[in-house]
Amino acid sequence: MSSFVNRRTNVKIAVGALVCEESILKGDITIGPNTIIHPKASIIAEAGPIIIGEGNIIEEMATIANRLPVDAPEPTTIPVQIIGSYNVFETDCTCEAFKVGDCNILESKAYVGREVELTSGCIIGASCSLTESDTIPEDTIIYGNECQRREMHGKPYPPISQIEFLLKILPTYHHIRKPNIVPTKNEGGL
Amino acid sequence: MEPQDVYYSKAEYVETASGNKVSRHTVLCGSQNIVLHGKVIVQSDAIIRGDLANVRTGRYCIISKNAIIRPPFKKFSRGVAFFPLTMGDHVFVGERAVINAAIVGSYIYIGKNAVIGRRCVLKDCCYIEDGAVVPPETVIPSFTRFAGNPAKCVEDLPECTLDLMLEFTKNYYQHFLPLSA
Repeated sequence: MSSFVNRRTNVKIAVGALVCEESILKGDITIGPNTIIHPKASIIAEAGPIIIGEGNIIEEMATIANRLPVDAPEPTTIPVQIIGSYNVFETDCTCEAFKVGDCNILESKAYVGREVELTSGCIIGASCSLTESDTIPEDTIIYGNECQRREMHGKPYPPISQIEFLLKILPTYHHIRKPNIVPTKNEGGL
Repeated sequence: MEPQDVYYSKAEYVETASGNKVSRHTVLCGSQNIVLHGKVIVQSDAIIRGDLANVRTGRYCIISKNAIIRPPFKKFSRGVAFFPLTMGDHVFVGERAVINAAIVGSYIYIGKNAVIGRRCVLKDCCYIEDGAVVPPETVIPSFTRFAGNPAKCVEDLPECTLDLMLEFTKNYYQHFLPLSA
């Protein structure tokens, strides 16, 4: 386990992903195509690898962390954090959930703890925090100071137009990390 | 009431001819699109996203540590557009606040950890309390104090708010001094 943590940073970026150089990436991370990582976003794979799917937007100061609580016993298997496709992580949110589905939106300053499983189409409102062990059903909106819940009618759209726009303008202002794997070849690109 | 002097290390801050004091540890993306109108303080680790759209501030704005200023976007039937963000004079932005507003007026106080949603309009002389969450597209009227999540009006402000904020930001600027002096 400890040897795993100390391994050098191992970031796999698929062709078509846009990862700004000023982002903070630590550990074993796989980033899928069309995913956009803004400057100052941090992805910290401390306890195990993080796999991020296609078309996610991770904004500045957002944190995706695969870390274990301080007092947790040494796990028998290496925990892998899997993030699906077309999720939006807005500014200053924190996501430690080990499983995130598709089309979820974490608004500014939202916090999702380790024991939470996000399915699909969920919106976690600004400043809401989920710490207890729970599986959030599909299309749930969590909002307000008491983290009220309600179900949404209809599905949220994947933020495709936003991704297209960012893919166009961000390379003109930022240094971009070079993609190093081709989507057809699995993980062997390094 | 005289505020306490706040000292900064001279090596960390850059002072421009118009009196802007900007920390070197900030992230100013697309700096050609950012206009700071003079006597503006931008403290360490603040983020201003000029790459998405223009950001313009007035005079005597104070942007605290870890604050994020980010122009809002709007989805249209054909694609997405980011809107410019304008900020008036004498605006205080607290630590770790996130501002996605379209227009921030003058003489405004935004507290710590506040979240201003996309395309909000903050009229002159309003007060956003610490940790308030202003939902997207809200218009905050003048002389009101907003708090909570979602933010609601909790109180009306007196007419002297303008002078109080003017005094507050000017004092802050005057007491923001280099350490070696």
